[in-house]
Amino acid sequence: MLKMLGAVLVIAATTLAGWLQARQYANRPQQIRRLILALKRLETEIMYGFTPLPDALDRIGEQSGGAVGSIFHRAAQNMKPPDNRTAQEALQLALEAGWKTTAMKAVEQDIMRQFSYTLGTSDRKDQLGHIATAVRQLESEEHEAREEQNRYEKMFRSLGLLFGAFIVIILY
Amino acid sequence: MDPNWLSVFPDRLRHLLQKLPPSVFTRLEEVRIRESRPLEVNTGGRFYFLTADGGITRDAEAAFKPDKQDSSRLLDLITNHSLYTMEEELRKGFITIPGGHRIGLAGRTVLGGGKVEHIRDISGFNIRIAREVCGAADQVLPLLLDFKQKSVLHTLILSPPQQGKTTLIRDLARQISSGTWRHPEARWPGLKVAIVDERSEIAGCRDGVPSYDVGPRTDVMDGCPKAEGMMMMIRSMSPEVMVVDEIGRPEDAEALVEALHAGVRVIATAHGADIDDIGSRPVLSKLVDSGFFQMYVTLRRSDQGLTFRLWDAKRRGIPLIPPGMKGREADA
Repeated sequence: MLKMLGAVLVIAATTLAGWLQARQYANRPQQIRRLILALKRLETEIMYGFTPLPDALDRIGEQSGGAVGSIFHRAAQNMKPPDNRTAQEALQLALEAGWKTTAMKAVEQDIMRQFSYTLGTSDRKDQLGHIATAVRQLESEEHEAREEQNRYEKMFRSLGLLFGAFIVIILY
Repeated sequence: MDPNWLSVFPDRLRHLLQKLPPSVFTRLEEVRIRESRPLEVNTGGRFYFLTADGGITRDAEAAFKPDKQDSSRLLDLITNHSLYTMEEELRKGFITIPGGHRIGLAGRTVLGGGKVEHIRDISGFNIRIAREVCGAADQVLPLLLDFKQKSVLHTLILSPPQQGKTTLIRDLARQISSGTWRHPEARWPGLKVAIVDERSEIAGCRDGVPSYDVGPRTDVMDGCPKAEGMMMMIRSMSPEVMVVDEIGRPEDAEALVEALHAGVRVIATAHGADIDDIGSRPVLSKLVDSGFFQMYVTLRRSDQGLTFRLWDAKRRGIPLIPPGMKGREADA
């Protein structure tokens, strides 16, 4: 009886683990897409709204929502008093603090970090150029992430269950 | 409480400035930051360098030198992290921050079609601290009254930079608008005043609302080119007195003449060391020759405070006692 209960627990645990891993694969392209949309909104705010960065990032944070949105919120917060950090520091700190809660990988973080160096420090034309570069890079990551999702999402979902069954068979 | 201009400085520079002796700190007029050169402060015509521990010195070698990081942080803070919102300001070479403090910028210019389009590699900053001095115009105003028309005379205020022109016309606007004429025989109410504030210095507007007291009947056109702003004000706000800062371009003169014909009294300022200087300035001399201004005021600042002299329409010096007032009354 106890053995039976253990077996069920093992299978449940591995299934859950596989399921979570699969979700990561599904979330990553979705979040990259959100990031791209957020940057495009930033482009509009800069180009047509002349909105100062802290306000622009706050607004974008609200619209994006979720883990991506909270990164922008945090960056805006870092820029305002009493912290008064530079745009670059503010975004980098927000990325470091908030990245763990997303499904995105280090590559995307690196793109955003690169982007932070020029954020707010040049004229509109230049800003748009940098946003476009970041968006392009993110898009290629998104493409890759989608391929990975297609390849691994289903696999991990069933792999969890199978691995659990495998352990149970060996131990039984 | 720290004055609001301190908040634009990055931590390191702010701490240094806060350590200044109070006698210097309260009289600060300019803070000059030049990358990898000594940090300088100016108070009423004197200058000092700051040392790394917040002391003052005249020795450039011993002074604290801000580095690249300090200047890029400062730029980030004064532009609210958004240089791209300041393109027009960069073309003009200065940024006005909340409170009417003006920050002059120096760096490498980027040209477009032969005109300055942008400044990059900004490494020199001059933070000019604006101070509201209520009562700065107490002595001048009684001399500028037009008793017949129950208004004020067309007045041009002349002085070199840094002598208190803007402070003076801000207070003039306030007193004219509230009707405190400082003269026993002037008993008419305050007038409608229009300020055309091209550099946001006179009223120090934030989101369109003046941060200085410019009087209850005063309208401010903020950040507007002077000539255009004067015409807009005449057309739309029916002012009785117009206050403008630093005239000097041909179109300014045209707008002033327009104001004259519209029956609006004008109080303007211009750069110039002396009353004789204006003859050599093309735009101003035309205005002077046509007898537009009824009164000229020249300012000079010394350690004792602000001193001024008056000249009438024909540029003859006139005594500093208002008509109808005895000397002692004027002193009081």
